[in-house]
Amino acid sequence: MSHGDHSRDPCPYVILNDFGGAFAMGAIGGGIWHGIKGARNSPRGERFVGSMSAIKARAPVLGGNFGVWGGLFSTFDCAVKGYRQKEDPWNAIISGFLTGGSLALRAGPRSAFGSAVGCGILLGVFEGVGVLMNRMFAQPIPQMQLPEQAPASPSPAVA
Amino acid sequence: MSFLSGLFGASSEPIEKEPSASAELFNSTTFRSNVQPSSSSSSASSSSSSSIPQPPTDQPAVPTQTAPTALDAFGTAFDPARLHPLAGLSENLELLQLDEDKLNDIEGSASVLPSRGWTDDLCVGTGTTYLSGLLIGGMWGAKEGLSRPLGNNPSMKLRINSILNGCTRRGSFTGNSLGVLAIFYNLANSSLDSIRGRHDTYNVLGAAALSGAIFKSTAGVRPALVGASIMTAAAGAWSAFKNTV
Repeated sequence: MSHGDHSRDPCPYVILNDFGGAFAMGAIGGGIWHGIKGARNSPRGERFVGSMSAIKARAPVLGGNFGVWGGLFSTFDCAVKGYRQKEDPWNAIISGFLTGGSLALRAGPRSAFGSAVGCGILLGVFEGVGVLMNRMFAQPIPQMQLPEQAPASPSPAVA
Repeated sequence: MSFLSGLFGASSEPIEKEPSASAELFNSTTFRSNVQPSSSSSSASSSSSSSIPQPPTDQPAVPTQTAPTALDAFGTAFDPARLHPLAGLSENLELLQLDEDKLNDIEGSASVLPSRGWTDDLCVGTGTTYLSGLLIGGMWGAKEGLSRPLGNNPSMKLRINSILNGCTRRGSFTGNSLGVLAIFYNLANSSLDSIRGRHDTYNVLGAAALSGAIFKSTAGVRPALVGASIMTAAAGAWSAFKNTV
């Protein structure tokens, strides 16, 4: 959130929102994806059954992966915002780095660091694209017409 | 989503909030209007010229500037001409319509957090349920990992590994199942709200029955009915708890 988005909840509560949004995105998108994939991989006549079993087996897991990622990211984002007292693209990059690192923590420090750097770079690319889009699509702010400077001894308006 | 907002939601223009030099100038300037308030001058002239004695007015009539604009014809509630006569705001004025900021206006749907519609409900409800499922499942898995036998040479490292394995196995399973159930429930709830136009306990019970039935629908008719009744009972208990508190 590098642009001061005022259409969202304040920080501790937005974590719940992001958890749920990421989980729903992963689960619904995973349902569509694995539904098609399961139907294509099943023999003819069993396409619907195969599709349903693929959805049941894989969509919640994908939703969980998305949800954990998004929720951790949002938590780190809030923590970084609270620590730095700033809102700029570095927040997202730092929290992406921390998220990638903590998700790969069990694979060892070396692997965690690699994953953290990868996630940070990914978020950096996202933020860079966002800044570029903002520059491209933002309208120039029109110049404000300044009123005349008041005289030194202000006379009453209604003479 | 906040982590995608850099990509998708970045088109909003930044709003200048700092006290700029122009704003200071604007506030320090006295606006001098050459437009005489017509009502006061006309009343003064009529009182001086008329022979009929009139009650003395202690204070002159408040000059109300009612410049007829096109907005008067449409009868909008917000009249920009009243802001200042010299501001010239009656034409070329663009009003920001913040449709995203509107709160949910379905009757009786006020909850703990203000909701901006069904997507907000879906996200917050799913997130809360998923997170609590993750926590409960994590505790269940931790308990399981704590009490699992470790074989002939137990060590601290093996114990920690066992706990973590239990957490990730039980926690993700519980969280995912509850989260999917919450997605179904919130979708059904919002659909029922918008169909019926209000939100009450019947909606909650109906949405719970629907989501339980959908969640268990692949196992057969009987499990679906059982799931629906369990969910309805849980939702009814929750509603009763919420009404008493």
